[in-house]
Amino acid sequence: MFKNLWDLFIAFTRASNLGFGGGPAVVPLIKAEAVDRYQWMNNEEFTDALAISNALPGPIATKMAAYIGYKVAGWLGVLVTLVGTVAPTVIIVVLLGSLIMKYSNSPELKAMLKAVRPVVVVLVADTAYDMGKKSFPTISTWGIAIVTVALLYLTNIHPAIIIVAAMLFGWVVYGRVKKEKDQN
Amino acid sequence: MAFKQLWDLLLAFTRASNLGFGGGPAVVPLIKIEVVERYHWLTNAQFTDALAVGNALPGPIATKLAGYVGFQVASWLGVFSAIIGTVVPTVLAVILLTGFLMKYSNSPILKGMLKGVRPVVVVLIAQTAFDMGIGSFPNLTTWGIALAAVVAFYWLKLHPALMIVLAMAFGLLVFR
Repeated sequence: MFKNLWDLFIAFTRASNLGFGGGPAVVPLIKAEAVDRYQWMNNEEFTDALAISNALPGPIATKMAAYIGYKVAGWLGVLVTLVGTVAPTVIIVVLLGSLIMKYSNSPELKAMLKAVRPVVVVLVADTAYDMGKKSFPTISTWGIAIVTVALLYLTNIHPAIIIVAAMLFGWVVYGRVKKEKDQN
Repeated sequence: MAFKQLWDLLLAFTRASNLGFGGGPAVVPLIKIEVVERYHWLTNAQFTDALAVGNALPGPIATKLAGYVGFQVASWLGVFSAIIGTVVPTVLAVILLTGFLMKYSNSPILKGMLKGVRPVVVVLIAQTAFDMGIGSFPNLTTWGIALAAVVAFYWLKLHPALMIVLAMAFGLLVFR
């Protein structure tokens, strides 16, 4: 039991701390640990876990960690995998953040941040571009995007409402189209 | 006062995390809306800095931002509060609803809903880039940095963490 918990902790600490680019970059590393190295699950089970996680909102790495942790060692397993996934980078980020706050008036830090901001803009724009490549299979999905832009810039509507409305729209429009095809 | 802030952090990050479909990067714009626009914990520029630090480190981005913002607002208890909000609801859902989700994760209805929401997520992320861009290009040199970043990223396939460190070193030499 203790061995299992320790393995879970090591596996998820390793996966999380070697994956740059947020949770989605960590997923293949989780697979390498859970399927290839420790064989807690086979390929198919991992694909199922990923499908379940993708159906839910929120960060993907912690959902996968919890799913696998629970499967291997119950709630204690969940705790251990989550700590492994989250704690190391959070501690570093907090320490760096407090340094930035402390020296926020130093000209050196200001110079560094001024130069790094354009890079962050490029990286975030790339995330939008990357997700965009897979998100516009039909004309109507472009319609959703245009309506979203209009609502965001012309009204004060909260994005949460747009998100929920888009899901309902998808349910009614895309959910049904698929069903009819299945029947034919 | 302190309790109020912890509660706000919990609410803000629960809301952001549980409306973001597409993993951590889809959650970032929603975190920005809570942190910058709703609660004014950070300015646009400070949020961009937080993302720079977050992107320079490995691991999930949503929990790094939660930790960063939580600490600035209410120290280590704030970190705890923001991370609980980010992680716990979806983690409970994934464990408790496994059977249910297993059955429906391939259903056309759920796929249709995710297909409908994806363009919204893309627009929100693009808007985040745009908002950050507004304050991030005060002079021609900063445009040069962005251009260099595009070349480094798409043609040289340079690692984003390395790009962030190089940009900081450049800034230290040029902007000081």
